Amino acid sequence: MSRVVFDHVTKRFGDVVAVDDLSLEVHDKEFLVVLGPSGCGKSTALRLVAGLEEPAEGNIIIGDRIVNNVEAKNRNVAMVFQNYALFPHMSVYDNMAFGLRMRRIPRRERDQKVLDAARMLGLQDLLRRRPGELSGGQRQRVALGRAIVRNPSVFLMDEPLSNLDAKLRVQTRRELVKLHRQLETTVIFVTHDQVEAMTMGARIAIIHEGALQQVGDPQEVYRHPVNLFVASFIGSPAMNFFHCELRLHDGQPIAYSGGARFPLTEGQARSLAALRGQQVIIGVRPEHILPDWEAEEGSEGGLNVVVDTVESMGHEQHVTFSAGDTTIVARLDAARSLRDGERLRLMIDQAHVHFFDPDSGQRVE
Amino acid sequence: MDATDATANQRLPLIAVANRLLQRLRGVNRLGFALIFLAPSLVIFSAFVFYPLMKAVYLGFYETDNFGNQGDFVAVDQYRTVLSSEAFRHSLWVTFLFALYTVPPGILLGLALALLANQKLPGISIFRIMFSSTVATSVAVASLMWLTLLNPSVGLLNYFLVEAGQPRIDWLNDLDWALPAVSATTVWLNLGLAFIVILAGLQTIPEELYESARVEGASDWSVFWHVTLPLLSPTLFFVSVVGTILAFQSFGQIHILTRGGPLDATTVIVYSIWQDAFQRFDYGVASVQAVALFLLVLGLTVIQLRFVERRVFYQ
Repeated sequence: MSRVVFDHVTKRFGDVVAVDDLSLEVHDKEFLVVLGPSGCGKSTALRLVAGLEEPAEGNIIIGDRIVNNVEAKNRNVAMVFQNYALFPHMSVYDNMAFGLRMRRIPRRERDQKVLDAARMLGLQDLLRRRPGELSGGQRQRVALGRAIVRNPSVFLMDEPLSNLDAKLRVQTRRELVKLHRQLETTVIFVTHDQVEAMTMGARIAIIHEGALQQVGDPQEVYRHPVNLFVASFIGSPAMNFFHCELRLHDGQPIAYSGGARFPLTEGQARSLAALRGQQVIIGVRPEHILPDWEAEEGSEGGLNVVVDTVESMGHEQHVTFSAGDTTIVARLDAARSLRDGERLRLMIDQAHVHFFDPDSGQRVE
Repeated sequence: MDATDATANQRLPLIAVANRLLQRLRGVNRLGFALIFLAPSLVIFSAFVFYPLMKAVYLGFYETDNFGNQGDFVAVDQYRTVLSSEAFRHSLWVTFLFALYTVPPGILLGLALALLANQKLPGISIFRIMFSSTVATSVAVASLMWLTLLNPSVGLLNYFLVEAGQPRIDWLNDLDWALPAVSATTVWLNLGLAFIVILAGLQTIPEELYESARVEGASDWSVFWHVTLPLLSPTLFFVSVVGTILAFQSFGQIHILTRGGPLDATTVIVYSIWQDAFQRFDYGVASVQAVALFLLVLGLTVIQLRFVERRVFYQ
């Protein structure tokens, strides 16, 4: 039983609130990704679990035990640091065996565990080397190996992939997910990279300015972002936002933004009825913007835009349009090539539009 | 030569000439060119190091008469007699003891203070300044301070002894205590340097290593033993070699506190050299000892340099 619970945890550094009343439960054997921009407090949250920081308020619970006053060495957690934090004066073997030696595991058992982990990670030929003689990817695996051998109840990973090159990062991402499946242990994985979060996490917890914004599986946070921050942080290219006013047009509720009109679906009109005459922010993902030649016959509304830049991805293209002083990014099929400066009309897939309250930033359903 | 070069050369004839001269110098004799830049330091080193060194070796081959003048050429005889003499062996032994009494305690104290001062506490820089302040204290000032502390009748040390019901000790005139007393002064004097170097060494150890050791289950003692100490070992080695060289060269505190006494109990090699050269005016004997001391320190330096190469391995 190795769930981890943050129960109204607050951590301050002087006047800076690093973690602000965080409540979050990481389930047993779950791979949870904590995602947020740099300086949002996600690493601090991880260090609170490791025992490297003490909470000012609230409780940290590992399993069924409140560990606020338990020293790091007695928490049975393992941590993989961003720079791996390998001991430069020790061989790979000694690095991996360090935790076992500290726990006075007998030599034969120690050797066996280190060898097993080394085999699992493909490190068996490197055991006598020192970290300085290894590549970045190898060091990263040694850091993982050091965590694995102790069979900890919780793995804590603090941006462990950020020092790897792009190709190795993608490869290691998959290996980590497989490793988690093999080990069946709770993993808390901190990252600022939303692609990592989306691809690895069974659930993603998004943190901003020390506060938890949303927890959910990747699809959930992508499809139903609870507020403007999550909506803008998740997804690449980022969501487009339009400041709109809700009005009636021929008895039909319509959102206006500058010259553009966004007709609402019946369901949306119903849920937004109370907000008539008020401001609302409409969020549209780049893949829900269509050029008019792809839109259905007779669809209403639309934005007249000019092509600004075209980034070709091969299978698709990311096109930046300008409409007045707003820019709009769309993911379009690569079949029809667009020229800079070309004028066209964009339609919006109305069913996939998100609404947010401009004052609170919260989602309006 | 093309047209642009020609016009540039016409406009700046001096630079063109200088350029050609430099090229020729480089082509003809790179060493000569290098010597131009080395000349200032070569002159200074020659005047104050190389010449006196050679002169000392040379003087060792000659006896010195009673008036301090260069006497007969005796080849290596003087080296043989001096280096095998009871007095030289005694001063070598005293020097060894002096190094033993000053270097290990100095490192241990410096390490202890550096560990204390490496904490992140408010106002810690005040302590860092205090602990390193002996670097800025001259030998004379330190010696006078300790002369007062060690004074048999009004000194603080004896005050505590008397308070504890113990007999007074005449520190600087006691055969057994004179060398430890001078050593204590030296430890204090060299502590600032050891402290600064060790603290700098501690600060190069990444915080993450301590943290990962703690998460891996290491106690405070284990962290110190398995992480801090091994990563600090090159620094500690450096401090020990520099400390030993400093000990071998100590003069001022001995001159002020004990003048080599009582009964040569504190006559280290440097003091013996000074006595032979400037009290007895026997430059030959002094030179022989100086050459021996030079070789000793040279050996230590070579060991140190070798180790510095190994240290690079850690990074």
